Amino acid sequence: MMEIIKYIGYIAIGIGSIFLFLGALGIYRMPDVYNRLQAGTKATTLGAMSTILGVGLVEPTWFVKSLIIVVFIAVSNPLSSHALARGAYRASLTPFMKKKMDAYESEIQNEKED
Amino acid sequence: MKKLLIILLLAVVGYFLTVSMSNIKFGANRMGDLSQPKTVGAFYLSKTPGELSVANVITAIVVNYRGFDTLGEVSVLFLAATGLGSILYKKKKKGEHIPTVNKPSSALLQAGSKLIFPAILVLGAYVFIHGHLTPGGGFQGGAIIATGFLLMMMSYKDFTMNHSVITWVESLAGITFASIGLIGLIVDHSFLENFLPIGYINDLISGGIIPLIYVAVGFKVAAELSGVLDTLLSIKEK
Amino acid sequence: MLFYTIVLIILAIILLGVAIYAVVQKDLLYAVIATGVISLILSVFFFILQAPDVALTEAAIGIALTTIIFIITIRNTSRMEDEMPLDHEPNSESDNQVETK
Repeated sequence: MMEIIKYIGYIAIGIGSIFLFLGALGIYRMPDVYNRLQAGTKATTLGAMSTILGVGLVEPTWFVKSLIIVVFIAVSNPLSSHALARGAYRASLTPFMKKKMDAYESEIQNEKED
Repeated sequence: MKKLLIILLLAVVGYFLTVSMSNIKFGANRMGDLSQPKTVGAFYLSKTPGELSVANVITAIVVNYRGFDTLGEVSVLFLAATGLGSILYKKKKKGEHIPTVNKPSSALLQAGSKLIFPAILVLGAYVFIHGHLTPGGGFQGGAIIATGFLLMMMSYKDFTMNHSVITWVESLAGITFASIGLIGLIVDHSFLENFLPIGYINDLISGGIIPLIYVAVGFKVAAELSGVLDTLLSIKEK
Repeated sequence: MLFYTIVLIILAIILLGVAIYAVVQKDLLYAVIATGVISLILSVFFFILQAPDVALTEAAIGIALTTIIFIITIRNTSRMEDEMPLDHEPNSESDNQVETK
């Protein structure tokens, strides 16, 4: 039983490192800030969570600690990317593609009128 | 001409640095035999577990063997915070509030930082309470707590820090540090001497006065740094 | 051990590059972010060289607090570095012109 859990942990670490690599590749390949944030956050969140969970499965004494770290990453990583994207929009960085709809612009207009 | 002089100076400094550094082998073990210590590092490494029963030897050196230096460092930080406050701090009128950020942050960030803030505080407290067992200590824990307060200041426009509370916490922590040292002077004839039972190694309550001093230093550094950040952030923009 | 040495050499090269970038850059916000990156690499350095206490200090103070304090300062002053050539002497020609007038 312990051996099986250990191998599940190794597989999780492997999946995590693949996603981390894809995130790094995405940051290199994507054309503008928003796409890079997308690649650099979504892929690395899953990658880091899976890697740390795998480490917890391989070493059972660290499992609770790794769970805490996973929860912390799940809370903090999307928040930071959200703040970065918001800051980039407010610094008027234009997206790569032509935008079809923009919900945030009207919100900023409302803020200015207030 | 000036550029030439700069390059010449850099070359001279670089030459002497390489000459003096090339004699030291990178990563070599210069500590020697621990059972017969010849260097100061080996002496501390061999003596600490028996004399103080502290797992983290660096803490033992910083707080116990070189405790007076730590008191000096803490007072240097206190002086820096006082100087900055005396230049920049403006007493607010009653009910007046200067916002720390001029644009409100989004609802998502506010809710998320409310979730993360207690976790950061707990991490900082863990780092300075466990300073004698794991890497870390008062300065690190205090800085981590100050970053937690910084997160709240940046995400909430109306987040205020009560400066009289900060002053009280800081003064009480400083008084605790100094008075522990004075008790050591009275009981054991030397300033900051250990006067408590040392306990067993790897216990939470072990190492004599080291955990007490680190808790005091942690509170002091956290109060100072968050006070500095609050003072800096509430400067009115032109 | 060899692996760590190679990692350290690569990190040292990146560190030098970022440091030169921070000195040369005229936009001070970019330079401050570069100093934060320097602190990040330094803290990895300290961790690999078995000094986790110093690594924690560098991570908390160097990356977070120093960067934030510099950014607040930039917010209250100017973002761009003043254009001042290295050989410039402040009171040479313009002051003489004022005197002759």
